[in-house]
Amino acid sequence: MIRRAGIVVISIIAVTVLAAGLTACAGAPEKINVRVLCAGSLMVPLNNLEAAFEARHPDIDVLTEGHGSIQVIRYVTELHEEVDVVAVADHSLIPMMMYNTRMPDTDKSYADWYIKFAANSLGIAYTAASRHTGEIDASNWYRVLARPDIKVGIADARLDSCGYRALMVLYLAGPYYRDSSIFRSVLGDFDPPLEISENDAQAAIAVPEILRPAGKKIVVRGSSIRLLALLESGDIDYSFEYRSVAEQHNLEFLALPAEINLGANEMADCYGQVICRMDFQRFASVQPEFAGEPIIYGATIPANAPHPALAEEYIDFLLGDKGREIFAAAHHPLVPPQADRPENLPPELKTLVENGG
Amino acid sequence: MGNRKWLILALVFGIALVIVAFGYYFLDRPEPVNWELTLVGKNGEQRLLGYDEIRRLPSLEARGGFFTTVGVVNGPYEVKGVPLHDLCALVGGAGPEDLVSVSAADGYSMVFGSDQLAGGIETYDPVTIHEAPHGKQVVLLIYEQEGRPLAESDGRPLRLAVVGDEALLTEGHNWVKWVNRIEVVSLD
Repeated sequence: MIRRAGIVVISIIAVTVLAAGLTACAGAPEKINVRVLCAGSLMVPLNNLEAAFEARHPDIDVLTEGHGSIQVIRYVTELHEEVDVVAVADHSLIPMMMYNTRMPDTDKSYADWYIKFAANSLGIAYTAASRHTGEIDASNWYRVLARPDIKVGIADARLDSCGYRALMVLYLAGPYYRDSSIFRSVLGDFDPPLEISENDAQAAIAVPEILRPAGKKIVVRGSSIRLLALLESGDIDYSFEYRSVAEQHNLEFLALPAEINLGANEMADCYGQVICRMDFQRFASVQPEFAGEPIIYGATIPANAPHPALAEEYIDFLLGDKGREIFAAAHHPLVPPQADRPENLPPELKTLVENGG
Repeated sequence: MGNRKWLILALVFGIALVIVAFGYYFLDRPEPVNWELTLVGKNGEQRLLGYDEIRRLPSLEARGGFFTTVGVVNGPYEVKGVPLHDLCALVGGAGPEDLVSVSAADGYSMVFGSDQLAGGIETYDPVTIHEAPHGKQVVLLIYEQEGRPLAESDGRPLRLAVVGDEALLTEGHNWVKWVNRIEVVSLD
């Protein structure tokens, strides 16, 4: 009798353990992964947006990855990875790299619309430990930066949009301050040199294959993010940065006049005085010439996105009230959403764009 | 009867061992790699090297890693490959005034100055990603990582890597994947 009871107890325990094991193996239902690839300068607001979106959709796991803007699009068009949302720091890259690139084995391009959704401006970041901070302002910054004892950081114009945009700012400062020596006096010499060719309408800055400062005054790094650590360590005094990035990292920031900071739509003609041309082809699919124009971020959903409906919902969330709140907290200005080809927008986003977000 | 049982067990164990050994032998053998690297000298001299030919060149093993634009750290890894400098030497070499352009099958390319190839690439601490000084530094064309041929996502079969004695990081744009062309270009 006792033996039979023991067998029953052991059987119950065994069945319970087995059931528990099976339940543990089955685990919680798998979440749907929505993959968002974005420009590095969007990482702070989009990481926060990810958390807010997931809180609203517990069944979704947003995977936000930051890269250089060109690399973001190459993941889709050249490395053929499946991505739900693309968001880049230069809207013109989307038509350049996605509209004319066909998806393998189809006659369909990777995208045929995008939405302009955010802006930024360029200025000068520094810390309390930087030299001559007591006297620098928007009227004399170029004279302070030109001093021999000042070290200035600039992103590599061959690799980072912040780098070629900084060169444009330095060129535009010449006519604005009526001092044509600013470009050379701040940057010093490069070996090989940065050549500028000018005609009546426009100047073209030619960036050589190697960007090598002749002296130690200018420090070039692959991305503007890398310059932040040099500012904090005191290895450089000032660096050209996006305003949002400087403020997100609690750095001091000198805003430059709208005529030269690439941040004002109404100054588009002014910025159009300069272009930056790479003297080499780094990416097969990218025309190596960048126009001076207001900094506008663009977003789209690739035609081969695995979860297009969720991607639409994500962009809707980004452009809505919560997105605006998150971007404002991250010091990153949004602009009223505007589509280049509204007729191609998915219906839900069409309504949103027509209503201005 | 007892002996027979042990004999059958030994036979089964032996067969299982043979199956496992065969499995390892066939499954673990690297697939043949059909890949050509074009070397171009500054005087236009060209040379094609197959993957197996590259593996037969004198090689170097060292450690290095990289980080992405937004600071995601990869490595440091133990890698094996041929110094870029040695490959350039096969087509006349790269002098102090020359550039070396490294291109990939996906349309990406990166250009290095002689000062960079002579140890002038900035290095970073793998934990803090703050700049850290380095000793000897070599740019390698690697074909193995952590003792195995490169995975497709790591640039199989040939990738550029920046390595050194201290196992530091460098910026990811230097680590060109799927390398298929190396060209020495005169700056003049």
